[in-house]
Amino acid sequence: MTHQRLEVADLSKTFGPARVLRGVHLSIAPGELHGLVGQNGCGKSTLVKILTGVYTPDPGGSIAVDGRPLRTPVQPAEQREAGLSVVHQDLGLVDDHTVWENVRLGRYQARGPFRKIDRRAERAAAAQVLGRLGRPIDAGQLVAALSAEDRATVAIARAVQSHRPGGGLIIFDESTRALGQAARNRFFAIVRSLIGAGASVLLISHQLEEIVEVTDRVTVLRDGEVVETGLPTPDVDEAALTRMMLGRHLVTHGRVDSHAKDEVAASIRSLSAGQVRGLDLDVRQGEIVGLTGLMGSGFEDVAEAAGGARRAGSGQLTVGGRSIALGRRRASTEDFVRAGVGYVPERRLAEGLAAEMTVSENLTLPRVRSRGRPLAAGRAWQAEETAAMIAKLDIRPPSPSAPVGTLSGGNQQKVVLGKWLAGRPELLVLREPTQAVDVGARHDIIDAIRAAARGGCGVLIASIDAADLAVLCDRVLVFRDGKVTGELTGDLDRDAIIGATFGVTPSRDEQVPPEREAG
Amino acid sequence: MTARQEDSIAPGVPVTPPSRPGLGYQARHLGSRYAVLGVWALLVVIYTIAKPGVFMTRSSFESIFNGQYALVFMAMALLCTIIVGEFVDLSVPSVFGFAATILPVLVVNQHWGIWPAAIVAIAGALACGVINGLLVVVAGVNTIVVTLGLGTLLTGVALWMSDLNTVVLPAGRFSRIAIFGVGGLYVSFFYGVLLALAFAYVLAFTPLGRHMRFVGASREVSRLSGVRVNRIRFGSFVAAGALSGIGAVVTVAALGSYNATTSDSYLLPVFASVFLGTAVIQPGRFNPIGTWIGIYFLTTGITGLEELGLQTWVSDVFYGGVLVIAVTIATVLRRRTV
Repeated sequence: MTHQRLEVADLSKTFGPARVLRGVHLSIAPGELHGLVGQNGCGKSTLVKILTGVYTPDPGGSIAVDGRPLRTPVQPAEQREAGLSVVHQDLGLVDDHTVWENVRLGRYQARGPFRKIDRRAERAAAAQVLGRLGRPIDAGQLVAALSAEDRATVAIARAVQSHRPGGGLIIFDESTRALGQAARNRFFAIVRSLIGAGASVLLISHQLEEIVEVTDRVTVLRDGEVVETGLPTPDVDEAALTRMMLGRHLVTHGRVDSHAKDEVAASIRSLSAGQVRGLDLDVRQGEIVGLTGLMGSGFEDVAEAAGGARRAGSGQLTVGGRSIALGRRRASTEDFVRAGVGYVPERRLAEGLAAEMTVSENLTLPRVRSRGRPLAAGRAWQAEETAAMIAKLDIRPPSPSAPVGTLSGGNQQKVVLGKWLAGRPELLVLREPTQAVDVGARHDIIDAIRAAARGGCGVLIASIDAADLAVLCDRVLVFRDGKVTGELTGDLDRDAIIGATFGVTPSRDEQVPPEREAG
Repeated sequence: MTARQEDSIAPGVPVTPPSRPGLGYQARHLGSRYAVLGVWALLVVIYTIAKPGVFMTRSSFESIFNGQYALVFMAMALLCTIIVGEFVDLSVPSVFGFAATILPVLVVNQHWGIWPAAIVAIAGALACGVINGLLVVVAGVNTIVVTLGLGTLLTGVALWMSDLNTVVLPAGRFSRIAIFGVGGLYVSFFYGVLLALAFAYVLAFTPLGRHMRFVGASREVSRLSGVRVNRIRFGSFVAAGALSGIGAVVTVAALGSYNATTSDSYLLPVFASVFLGTAVIQPGRFNPIGTWIGIYFLTTGITGLEELGLQTWVSDVFYGGVLVIAVTIATVLRRRTV
């Protein structure tokens, strides 16, 4: 009888009071491309961490590869022996090292009396694996110099190098996020060739479209439990997967009526920041304005200057009757906060939230001085604000005293947004507001941004996510080389935004610039 | 405008209620908070059994609780900067020693009045805090370099001022500000209690404390939330200087003299107490009450060992050993409970 490549049975994991995985079953056949989907915080990462020996599962479960049971916690040597490898979200590459050093990391062979690394042999070994993948990248190059696609290839090479021919299981944990459409197609061509040779793949992705397109079967996790496992992908579509993931029916966001009023919420005058020179921009009350372009085109600089994150060269921001000099040396973010500007940064854990502090402390931070008294920050208003934001954004777990670092990415993003929404800002500046969040969280975040606009807040969204901009914005400014090269209004369309960004007519094969890693 | 579609979500599936924490979890949780208190009680029991009639006496009780005012002030001073993320201000004992030397030197050698001398001593320590703050926060120089350098310099200046001697204050009522008896203990013990409680209150309940903890957790997050990060960092150095100065005045009042060569001996106990404090009450976090408990825990241990007849080297072994073990246990327990 042929064994499954991976057979996981009755796997559970408990952290303190929280049971994050409950009796998970998963089986993957040899030569299968298996998809794993679920919202942020549903237990996907925990499952991967158990399979790679980072976490010890609760007693009672079992993991077997090719019919051979693995001991838990999974030992690195056994994991390698079994051919179980992971390509992580950030690919786990060391930028200032060469391709061969990255591929061979952890496997260096030392030779001679001084135990020196045999560079020539290592380089040859790396080149051989890369050759097997059909992409002969120069093994002596620095990884930093590679394209997103080649970086992914290097990560795959590292994962598959010790697999037996026709064996092995590679887990791709959101590894395709940094790839554009064209690069993604080539990436899957490599994956397909591995599968053709008998390897199995577990693909974890938030891109349901991708899951439906490329996988053979799919498993859905919700709240730590398997909702469906081994479902043949041809039988499902994205809507069905979403329904299973959320346990609710989610109607796709379409555009809603604009709530823009005539009064101006914020005006930017003569802004020079980064590449941008002399920009004037008015955001009306209730208006949602998108800023987009290629990375480095200047749209990010506008958001950072208007949000008070970075000092601009020069310029003036007027919000709620207050005027702030954007180029002033001693301008403080406090001035922006007082004027009613809220800034949701791109990297939520580095710039938006202090992981060790609680949900409530993070949510109320910008107002703890203005609403509190010097000798007592005051509990009532903090509890009230926190409860309101937890309810409004559906933050889970709904616990004000949980350290923010224990929340899933999507819920953390909701806390960053809630931190500013609770202060009823006049101008809300957001960067990549739905980056690396699941469909459910994205839905809640989009709803909350719209609600803020309905309430009269002016919104500036700097994003490369054309789908977000299309459903949210009243108009989108497209930047290139520091200049606004296009303004799209009316009925916005994702492809039109992408087209304007690249200065070409929309095409599905266009390579989208890689997203930056979220904190 | 074209027809638009408003979003809707069909009624949600009931959310699974969070499971109740298990007994094991609660035990670990309590363990991580109160392990040091438990070991403290255990020490007292062991010493009492080992030396009946010596340890559990009024005199050893008083020697433990009456003598630690200097450590309490210095540990709280160090905590000021550690809370805001400025690791290792090595100058605390030297600033303390500097102020504690100024006071008797001004009174004895320069014939100043004792109160003006005390004010100058505190102002001197405060000025050291300002210098630390300017160099670290404004000029951006590495904290270890600045505080190690300034600390060594101040110790040298103090030795020069005192001519390497113990400077003795004339006997007088001044000592009453430190050793006035309240309920069998010196008033200086209660200064320490009040200081730790006030500090804990500031951190837990005031906007300033919240800002301090956020600055310690992430400067960038704090800055982008409108917190005046550099002002808070600078203020912490100044407060640390002021606390060292006040502690020095209380110490000189209690001792009636000061010898500048002793300043350096405070460094390890101060650090040991502050880090041991991370194993108490709020595991993994620097906190004033934990630090206060850490000070008296360490003193109890050493007093007991000395009464068992061990030599003074035992304090080094005890301070060092307990620090590493306690913080390791707290870290491990915390990792399991999070």
